[in-house]
Amino acid sequence: MTDVIQSGIDAREIQAPADPSPRRRTWRAFRQNPLGMGSLAVIAFLAVLSAAAPLIADFPSGYGEEILVGPSAAHWFGTDELGRDIFAEVIWGGRISMIIGFAASFLAILIGVTVGITASYAPRLDPPLSMLVDVSLALPVLPLMILVAALVGPSVETLVLVIALFSWPEVARIVRSQALSVTRLPYVDAARTIGGSHLWIMTRHLLPAVAPVIVVAVVLTASRAVLSEAGLSFLGLGDPDSWSWGKILYNAQRSGALTIAWWATLFPSLAILLLVVSATLVSIAYNDARNPKTREA
Amino acid sequence: MRLLNYASRRLLRGFATFLFAVTITFFLVRLLPGDPMLAIAAPGMTEELLARQIADLGLDRSLIVQYVAYLRELGQGNLGISFLRGQPVSEVLMARLPWTLLLTGSALLVTIVLGVPLGVLAAVKARGAVDRLVQVVGVIGQSLFVPSIGIFLLYTLGLWLGLFPIGSAVDPDTHGAARVLSILHHLALPCLTLVMAQLASYVLTLRATLIESLGEEYCDLARVKGASESRVVWQHALRNALLPTTTLVGLQIGFLVGGAVLTETIYAYPGVGRAIFEAVGQLDYPVLQGAFVLLAATVVLANLLTDLLYGLLDPRVRTA
Amino acid sequence: MPRPISAAWTPRALACMFFALAVFALFNAMHANAQEPTRLVVGTTADVVNLNPLVGNSRSDTWVTNLMYPRLMQMSASGQKEPYVATDWGYSDDGLTAWMELRDDMMWSDGEPFTADDVAFTITAVTEEAIGITAGLVGGSFERARAVSPTRVEFDLTQRDGQFLTNMGFWMPIVPEHAFPEVGQVSEFANDSDWVAAGPFVMTSVERGQRYVLEAVETYPFAPGGRAAVDEVVFRVFPDVNAQALALRAGDLDLIANAIPPAIARALSADPSITLVEIPALGWAHMQYNLERPPLDDLAVRQALAHAVDYEAIRRIALQGQAGSTLSSVISPVLSFWHDDTIEEYTYDPERARALLEEAGYTDADGDGFYDGIAFGLLYDQAAAEIANWAQIVRDSSAEAGIEIELTGLERNTYLARARDRDHDIYAGSWSIMEEPAAYLDLAFRDGGFINYGNVSDPEIERLLGEAQAATSPEEALGPVQAIARRINEQVYDNVLYYQEFQFAYNSDRWEGFVPQPSDLLSLVNPLSLASVHPVD
Repeated sequence: MTDVIQSGIDAREIQAPADPSPRRRTWRAFRQNPLGMGSLAVIAFLAVLSAAAPLIADFPSGYGEEILVGPSAAHWFGTDELGRDIFAEVIWGGRISMIIGFAASFLAILIGVTVGITASYAPRLDPPLSMLVDVSLALPVLPLMILVAALVGPSVETLVLVIALFSWPEVARIVRSQALSVTRLPYVDAARTIGGSHLWIMTRHLLPAVAPVIVVAVVLTASRAVLSEAGLSFLGLGDPDSWSWGKILYNAQRSGALTIAWWATLFPSLAILLLVVSATLVSIAYNDARNPKTREA
Repeated sequence: MRLLNYASRRLLRGFATFLFAVTITFFLVRLLPGDPMLAIAAPGMTEELLARQIADLGLDRSLIVQYVAYLRELGQGNLGISFLRGQPVSEVLMARLPWTLLLTGSALLVTIVLGVPLGVLAAVKARGAVDRLVQVVGVIGQSLFVPSIGIFLLYTLGLWLGLFPIGSAVDPDTHGAARVLSILHHLALPCLTLVMAQLASYVLTLRATLIESLGEEYCDLARVKGASESRVVWQHALRNALLPTTTLVGLQIGFLVGGAVLTETIYAYPGVGRAIFEAVGQLDYPVLQGAFVLLAATVVLANLLTDLLYGLLDPRVRTA
Repeated sequence: MPRPISAAWTPRALACMFFALAVFALFNAMHANAQEPTRLVVGTTADVVNLNPLVGNSRSDTWVTNLMYPRLMQMSASGQKEPYVATDWGYSDDGLTAWMELRDDMMWSDGEPFTADDVAFTITAVTEEAIGITAGLVGGSFERARAVSPTRVEFDLTQRDGQFLTNMGFWMPIVPEHAFPEVGQVSEFANDSDWVAAGPFVMTSVERGQRYVLEAVETYPFAPGGRAAVDEVVFRVFPDVNAQALALRAGDLDLIANAIPPAIARALSADPSITLVEIPALGWAHMQYNLERPPLDDLAVRQALAHAVDYEAIRRIALQGQAGSTLSSVISPVLSFWHDDTIEEYTYDPERARALLEEAGYTDADGDGFYDGIAFGLLYDQAAAEIANWAQIVRDSSAEAGIEIELTGLERNTYLARARDRDHDIYAGSWSIMEEPAAYLDLAFRDGGFINYGNVSDPEIERLLGEAQAATSPEEALGPVQAIARRINEQVYDNVLYYQEFQFAYNSDRWEGFVPQPSDLLSLVNPLSLASVHPVD
């Protein structure tokens, strides 16, 4: 994630956040990138599908007579080990997967941005906060997630919390380094000498300066969170009462359908893939569009 | 002298990281719901016997006392005795740590060997067809769900084509060169899966920094002096672009070492990640704790190495 | 990182990779040809935890240690105990002394004879240190063991206990006194090297999380040729059952020890080189109603609950037909000696359930479709696939009868802790081996019993249990045991849904001669089976 977010970030470019013209230029460049636009369309499509789930399919529950039957007109994506419709599961699962993705990402960004900006603005707090970030980054993340998920008990809230808890350090690190390049700029010093309150300077000057980084981080953290959710669910640490893409895969694994009913694995995996790939490509395209060097190329 | 100062600061930070990891995992592990005695207690056990066993395991003391005792033992290199196995934790885990190191180490190596040329290729032809292809393929690899792709590879390459063995890390009764070959043979698919999952990070970082470097003055200068473009890329721009990549290695090790749980599960690879997952299910505190200690130590050591490498590579660290 | 990187790196690296791949492929081909003909490779999904046979209690532990440490008795297909190492046994007239005769041709793998001393040592260690299930089963009445001759052991009992010998005979593996620490330290013994075994096999190497290798012991009197036909048995760990099935189909495994999920069984049955063996469980899956949580103390409510479960759908869909009915009895028909087929089976009848509730005075005043106050949590282990599946069916079919069920699927440790504290309305679970009714009914239905998840406290049952346990022959115990089962059925203290028909798979192109034994604990990996199996000619 670090890579994509950092790429093309150029302090010179964002020192005048009030000027709308670079933003418009970015958008124009972005539109010219077919990959970026296509990916954006895919994300929008998935989001609409999930939002409209109740209109598209019934909530998958109960059981059906046709067990592990392949795709057909009645069941577009086939059925699972209890004869439930996998299409409905994927549609409804998208809701939880995306909610977890964005909620976890939001929480991670909130913590990450706060820590990052504080560290960059308050030189005295910087060493301990940086240390905390570095140390947290070095922890083995997935085993810790497993531990905490087992600790709190499986639920959607747990997953959001656990994923956010281990995603913020990366955001903090990037935000800090980006904000540092701004705090040293003359206009921030100027604001300080005028006597602006710290909070005012941080929200008025630092936050807009790091906004592009945050945009990218939101998208990437969310897509990472979707993968993490799938991983934890797959290990049996998901929410037993709701459908997510990871849950569909967990059910397939547990019932031994992974190699037998390709449809039970393929469609949820594809949904995850589509979402994560699109999100990543959008952020790459966004960075490319913002960077004058790649824009000109 | 500066390098020494730099090194000692990193050393201190590494130690702090280690202590932090040990501390939070110690308390997290003991907050796990459930009761480890459930796995040990027998139907016929009297209260008095149960109390004796709890005392034997040290579970009757307060958490802080247990923590201090643990640190003291750890200082002497003692990881304790497994609740369920009756064996020293170090023995339980030492059977597994080498496989984790082999798997993650080889995945890292392959990633760098493949990632550097691909990153260069993408950067040189930025926004061209090759660049797009590398990006898309890389990003897809990174976004695949490991168990799904793992089962797919096992099915196609393992069962259909019979090219690779399914499960384990090595065949029994193999010695010398045959053993090395057997290990590599078993390593191929899990390693490939991990490489796919992380290749894009490296390629994209390298691509981005390389694009930056190629536009810098010193590259223009080299071109003016008549250096061929490939020389400019490989000798001038790449040297600088490798620095963030080195940082990335350090950052990703924590992710990589512990993140192989899913890979280990699907490929039946006997690594530490899987051991942690099992120990959570068994509430075997000492094994769980020991696994985190080993992982944290591995990550800290690996980070120290990359930091020192960074210090050697980057002249600014030496002079600044 | 090397500094001057030459452009030639890429092709060279690629060439190296292709070369390496070619070598792998070649090696693979060679390897396939060179496979040892007498090495049987067995797959398990869970790693072996503890190699001390008295302590290890996971299935994998039992499968492996069973091959090394003999039990005194065998179990027949209907759960009856039969002679094995013990040739004969009985009780004195007052019932306070039990005796057992042993074979004289058993040897430990280090050449020491297997004697009555080993049996006395093992039971003394088990009861003094209260190790494992055995301690719970025999600890109550055991006082002292004496080896009166190398082939005869006598046990002093504190009370009449007709299950003592059979419980010990089947549940207690015998360990070598000379290779184990003294009594007092046995439970802490890891037994992780220098193994001494009297089974068909002895362990030679352990690679944790990966592989356990056992070699044939030279003398094993139960094997057809006096020694196991295979030279080596290797247990391999596959945490994922899907990959495990692939390994069986690819020939990397010869046999899968764990019961395979119905979906995989169906796919494997299409493979001509794989043979499936069906083995009925000796236990059953059930729901227990917590009598201390009103209105579950109301018989009408429990009866309504029993009529609100779509048993047929559970067996057909959740178990994919691989399950049979026990007639709602806690004694499955597999235990043919004990089973009583006159017990009345509860059937899915939501109308009757509603009628029962209305008769008892329950109403749906708030009109939400559920009777007021008739809402229960159903506690189960999320990782148990079948139970997680049928729990949903129970919820849906109960709703038809106006009963609200809330699913509480928990991670295993939390589930166990909640069940131990009896912190549940309805407990869902399954028992793998319930072969000695008088013994298991005691654990599950006596007041304060270890697994009395329904908090049953019924003087009638206590009285009958006393009778059944004092009986020193199965014939004598039959009457009271069946009366208990009937009482439990009438009072709906327990609702048994099905017993499972486990499926086991092996590569029949390569192997034949397995000896199936009941339950997933013995199945095809029991010592007799692995001592008899041999390559197809």
